[in-house]
Amino acid sequence: MAEEKEEKGSFWDAFKGVLYGMAGHDMTRFALKTRGSMEHLFILITMGDLLGVPILPPYYSLRLLPYVVPQISTWKRRMLRERDLTDALA
Amino acid sequence: MSLARVFKEHPNRRYIEFGGKGGLGKTTFSAATAYWLAKQGYKVLVFSVDPQASLSDIFERDIFGKGAVEIMPGLFAQEIDADRHIRLYQEEIRQKIRDMYGFEEIPEEIENYIQAAAAEPAMEESAIFDAVVDIVVGEEYDYYIYDLVPLGHALYYLSMASVYDQWIDKITALREEMQEYARVATILERKKETEEDKILRELQYIKQRINTSSGILTDRERTAFFFVITPEEMIILDTVKAARLFARYQVPISGYIVNRVIPPELARQEIPEYLRHRIEMQKRYLRQIEETFGAGVLASVPEFERDITGLDMIGKVADALFGGEA
Repeated sequence: MAEEKEEKGSFWDAFKGVLYGMAGHDMTRFALKTRGSMEHLFILITMGDLLGVPILPPYYSLRLLPYVVPQISTWKRRMLRERDLTDALA
Repeated sequence: MSLARVFKEHPNRRYIEFGGKGGLGKTTFSAATAYWLAKQGYKVLVFSVDPQASLSDIFERDIFGKGAVEIMPGLFAQEIDADRHIRLYQEEIRQKIRDMYGFEEIPEEIENYIQAAAAEPAMEESAIFDAVVDIVVGEEYDYYIYDLVPLGHALYYLSMASVYDQWIDKITALREEMQEYARVATILERKKETEEDKILRELQYIKQRINTSSGILTDRERTAFFFVITPEEMIILDTVKAARLFARYQVPISGYIVNRVIPPELARQEIPEYLRHRIEMQKRYLRQIEETFGAGVLASVPEFERDITGLDMIGKVADALFGGEA
């Protein structure tokens, strides 16, 4: 690719970066946060047994277990922690 | 219509099920049907989903948990060992976790969960269900004969398929929605590709397995379900109720087979009063069966002079069941 174009591109990229910071970043954060919450909801309905919430059927939830191993501890913390006022600000 | 003709007129019905209350002769008829079909040159698998299976007893061979065992040319029998199936499955899950994260050992919390899940009451049924899916999706045999567990269990087994299906639908929908959010974030961050959701793929795999299995069970073209009854009042009443329930799960009921009919010609001989009364009673209930199920009654099998074990006796039952037609 031509150098000229690359220079032009880098200015354009920087501009897009600023624009993203102004408008997009929050939306991205929101999307990821929503997805994160849903991830935890998903683990609850598939692995609820880990918290003592019996959920059917255990046979197939075992199939999914390997994929959620890394999330299990943060999920448990989130599900079992006490709520306070600062939750509303998060 | 005779049972033999039902088989001849519907060659596509390759999944054969016998249902009914416990101890009426489901296993006997499953074995006899397998015997009859094998004698005609078909490759047949008769398998039991009952944890207290009796195929081993009827064939006089220990086949429990040994996979499909050839009993005679063309006739294979299999008893599913659910415990073993669960153990292998647990180990498969552990290995997957070890491979995915490079663990030497499974974290305690995860291991506890794997152990606890296996102790759930629904686990055994689910494991059997899964093992059956493995059997029926392999297109290895011309006929598959299910020796079903007693009625209540059979209904549970069938309803489980629809419960599973709904459960999977719900979480698949949630998973897909999650994927949407991930995609939005990807677009906003201008990354090229969203990370593939392996869980979604796993769910789709589970769903496909469940649908295949319940699809076969309720497919009028491919499946025949026969009720086994005896000329007794309670059995008739229960069967009417069960047939209604089965119909609700779209199980295609193909007919009824009457078992344990005391040969009426005995009445002409010198027989004790006790036996005469039983013959009278059966006559009455046979009439009731005729009125209740009418043309649905496909065969009537006599009470034999000894219990049915071994291929010779199974052959005799097959003759009675299919009218000696080849």
